[in-house]
Amino acid sequence: MFAFIIRRAIQAIMVMIIISLIGFLVQQSLGDPIRDMVGISVSLEERDILRTKMGLNDPQLVQFFRFIKNAAQGDLGISYFHNKPALDVIFKKAPATIELVFITLVLILLITFPIGIHTAIYPDTKFAKYVLGFSTIGVAIPVFLTAIALIYVFSVELQWLPSYGRGKTVNLWGWETGLLTWDGLKHLVLPSISLTSLFLPLYIRLIRSEMMEVLETEYIKFAWAKGLKKHRVWLIHALKNTLLPIITVFGVEFGMLFAFTILTEKVFQWQGMGFMFLEAVERADTALLVAYLVVVGMMFVVINTIVDITYGVINPTVRIAGTK
Amino acid sequence: MKKLFVLGTALLLILSLGLIASAKTLKLGLDADPKSIDIHEQLSGGTLQFSHWVFDPLVRYAQDMSFEPRLAKRWERIDKNTMRFHLVKGVKFHSGNDFTAEDVQFTLNRLKTSVDFKGLFELFSEPVIVDKYTVDIVTTKPYGLVLNMMTYIFPLDKKFYTGTDDKGTPKDAVVKVGHSFAKTAFPSGTGAFKLTHRDHGVKLVLERNENYWDIRSPGNVDKVIFTPIAEAATRVAALLSGDVDFISPVPPQDFKRIQKDSKVDLVTFSGGRIITVQLNQKKNPALANVKVRQAIAYAVNNVGIAKKIMKGTATPAGGTSPHGYSGFSPDLKPRYNLEKAKQLMKEAGYANGFTASMMAPNNRYVNDAKIAETFTQMVAKIGIKVNLKTMPKAQYWDRFDERAADILMIGWHSDTEDSGNFYEFLAMCPDTKTGYGQYNSGNYCNKEVDKLTIAAQTETNFGKRTAMLKRAEKLIYDEAAYITFHWQNHSYGVKNGVNALPIVNAQNFPYLGDLVIK
Amino acid sequence: MNNWTRFKNSYFLYSFKREPVAYISFALFIIFVLVALLAPVLSPYDPYDAMMIDIMDSEIPPSWMDEGEERFFMGTDVQGRDLVSAMLYGLRTSVIIGLGAVIFQAVLGITVGLISGYLGGKLDSFLMRVADIQFAIPYLIVAIIASAIFQLAFGVDRFQQLAVPLLIFIIGISNWPMYARTVRASVLGEKSKEYVEAARVIGLNRRIIMFRHILPNTLTPVLVLSTIQVAQAIMSEAALSFLGLGMPISQPSLGSLIKAGFEYVFSGSWWITLFPSILLIVFTLVIILFGDWLRDTLNPKLYKG
Repeated sequence: MFAFIIRRAIQAIMVMIIISLIGFLVQQSLGDPIRDMVGISVSLEERDILRTKMGLNDPQLVQFFRFIKNAAQGDLGISYFHNKPALDVIFKKAPATIELVFITLVLILLITFPIGIHTAIYPDTKFAKYVLGFSTIGVAIPVFLTAIALIYVFSVELQWLPSYGRGKTVNLWGWETGLLTWDGLKHLVLPSISLTSLFLPLYIRLIRSEMMEVLETEYIKFAWAKGLKKHRVWLIHALKNTLLPIITVFGVEFGMLFAFTILTEKVFQWQGMGFMFLEAVERADTALLVAYLVVVGMMFVVINTIVDITYGVINPTVRIAGTK
Repeated sequence: MKKLFVLGTALLLILSLGLIASAKTLKLGLDADPKSIDIHEQLSGGTLQFSHWVFDPLVRYAQDMSFEPRLAKRWERIDKNTMRFHLVKGVKFHSGNDFTAEDVQFTLNRLKTSVDFKGLFELFSEPVIVDKYTVDIVTTKPYGLVLNMMTYIFPLDKKFYTGTDDKGTPKDAVVKVGHSFAKTAFPSGTGAFKLTHRDHGVKLVLERNENYWDIRSPGNVDKVIFTPIAEAATRVAALLSGDVDFISPVPPQDFKRIQKDSKVDLVTFSGGRIITVQLNQKKNPALANVKVRQAIAYAVNNVGIAKKIMKGTATPAGGTSPHGYSGFSPDLKPRYNLEKAKQLMKEAGYANGFTASMMAPNNRYVNDAKIAETFTQMVAKIGIKVNLKTMPKAQYWDRFDERAADILMIGWHSDTEDSGNFYEFLAMCPDTKTGYGQYNSGNYCNKEVDKLTIAAQTETNFGKRTAMLKRAEKLIYDEAAYITFHWQNHSYGVKNGVNALPIVNAQNFPYLGDLVIK
Repeated sequence: MNNWTRFKNSYFLYSFKREPVAYISFALFIIFVLVALLAPVLSPYDPYDAMMIDIMDSEIPPSWMDEGEERFFMGTDVQGRDLVSAMLYGLRTSVIIGLGAVIFQAVLGITVGLISGYLGGKLDSFLMRVADIQFAIPYLIVAIIASAIFQLAFGVDRFQQLAVPLLIFIIGISNWPMYARTVRASVLGEKSKEYVEAARVIGLNRRIIMFRHILPNTLTPVLVLSTIQVAQAIMSEAALSFLGLGMPISQPSLGSLIKAGFEYVFSGSWWITLFPSILLIVFTLVIILFGDWLRDTLNPKLYKG
């Protein structure tokens, strides 16, 4: 296990170096961030003075070493737009994304388990067939279309729910949360539903097929033979055995959930990390972009390591991927 | 049961009282928030809007472009180079300090250290304090636009911005990159609102200044919650769903929808930003031919663009200066005539057309990319094949500086609200030494235009000045120095009861301090 | 027995003919692809030809509506382009990018998978490590970041010029580990089989063994994977274009049409978004349905997760 973690750490460092190299190269080939910082009638010389002040006129090598040196100390540069350290900006935006992902996960769990289990137990009902049909169609609908449709119906036409942003947030030990205000919760509804809708089909099918498989096993047949109550067999004996593969897929798909927040945040102008990334691209805010790359890279290395370790712990018969 | 009833009524009463007593809050959804809360850091529309809320200028523009006294209650010319301003007495800054002539002097001096603003105040020397409430504004040469420039002077609290802060930097420093006091501390101005919360790019909260000096102001907004919404469609959705009360700009395609909706109103006001494309004569020899340029001017149906793309909320332009400016003349009309355009192409020797490259921003002006796209379609009809590329403004201006394409789009709003500013930047012969023609990517160069524009700068006789500017305007039009499309209108979508019409203006600085909400 | 008769008598064809979902979705898929590739012939107008576009024709509603015109069956977009034509060309761009990206990632992934699986050793562990690392990051994140970087590095203007090949590259590169792992897994299965052993004994060189003998036997999972990947690639393109990191509106793809229409959703010009959206959904649905059936019928071992 220890060797495994060391190997992963080395891997992570390699990833970080590659990412910072990419980041630096991008920064170089990119245009001039000064443009966005001054009024339109400021002269060329004035702009050049600013550029020198910011070290943008230094030789490339000097800039690269400065970049690496600072990065090693956890300083990923100053965001031109926000005028703050890039990491601070990212950490400030992170709660919005994390809360969106969290609520979405809760919704996915609340919706998919009952439906998945129901359709597994009664696979021939009309309901089960409709669910399966809808879930196939659901796979084909891009999340941004769902989001647009939801805004159109619930915000613009019916005016029940807000159409953009996070609403009122409360600062809880430095964490801006929208979960504690009525307004903040209302703002979460549409974005989290659009994200949830994307993952429903996958999980319903997964839970259903795992459950059906388990229901066929000798173990369950034995439980029936023992004369246990229906619900006890279904919800305790059967469900317990479907959890492991489902948790694994959750771990893997968690990354996808994060990826799709970028699209959702774009449509809802949700002030999270994805929206910040897109804005940084548009504003050519390179320092922020590079910091984002590093943070996201790091995040996925960590998540994957955790998933692999948990998998190894829960199911010792499976070797940890990547070990020999 | 009876108890419950009493309790219910009491609750209802409290709730309704709460409603009556509740402060009037304006939820504002503009496309972007100001870059900095140091109002001298960046010269941009966003900064000036903010300045009008938290500060007050010496004078400001009224809707008819006349000057309205603010912190300066009256003024008179002393001599050719001096103008005396009498200030309102008894005004207090948000910090509690008194507003005096010293603050005006301090502010102008500070403006002259700002990279962005110093160009505008080049001709100004140090103001002379006559007494506590009188100040003389002195220029080095006679200057016809002193009052125009006074709209940029939003007196800063001298006491508040003097000394050094806890980081050891002088409080009055204007800093673009890195720390400065003025961009971290909530400003102390004289304005109708105090800044109470700011999360850049996310939210800005203003609260009414209960000691506001202008007691005649009808404004009744106690709190402004400003959330920037960059995506146009989202902005409209936010208004329609009742999430915000006031949005701007409204994308033209949504005008009809907002007008139809009984819960919201559309308010538009004609503005002075001219949208143009410049034709680079050095890069593409065909464009150096005046007949070709004229042909393009005749091929562009800008009335059609104003009607279809801008949905009627832009004024199709012939010349450069909008109505109300000295250089404006009604004879310079849009000149769409396809036959004439083809004829001119033939005369120029380009009957078979030619190819040109073009670039335009896609998030800078209202419907910029669509206008550019349409332009290519229109000149295709006279045989000019244009390869168009559009990009976000963050990348566009680099390209513009490189003169990366034969045809480049640029919109221009005159900082001085005067015609001369247009010619100085867009039409005068490019000269890196003087800075004239800095944005003349077409390299159009006519010595007479240069001479007229420079002469007009120091001409204080209104009639003579107007004649000069009109002459320059006509030369630019006749030689098709660049192609003008229209002057963009400002557009605002507001919830019913928000009386926006009286507080908007050609500068797009909604005076929220005077806003009345029913 | 030649291949054709063998195919004719196969269970595969039997179940294909019996399953309406299978043959209908397959037929629709072929029709969509044909229509897309023949877009220049079929569409009434050329959306790339500035001569044929008139701004005065912009935002005309579909022909069956009050203000609609006969000329434009599904109405026009903001530029005054006929929506049917723009959609056909858009479908073509999406299909080219979708198929191109899948071919690209398949070639890359299969080559890596074959080499890795057959040769083993250091190279194998290195390649698989690279695949692992990339696999740890969702393909959509990789694609979004890659296109943002390309767009900034090239500048938007050059990016637009090269948009189609670049998107093929970006979407391809973001998804190759899937193929590499699948192929490697089946190569490892095949490698120990007797026919490979025999081929080696008679002295065939490695490349011939790899491509002639092992590769054909790994194609079933590749085929199944590819149908899923085509749908995914087309949706990725739409997502990238929607974020403004894909096709520019001057070169319509289904994604960029939807993005352009998004600005008009609330203004009443719903057709600009709705029709391309329906086309995108139906097209991906068709591919997914066919892919599902293919997977259920062939039932190969796919490398998941």
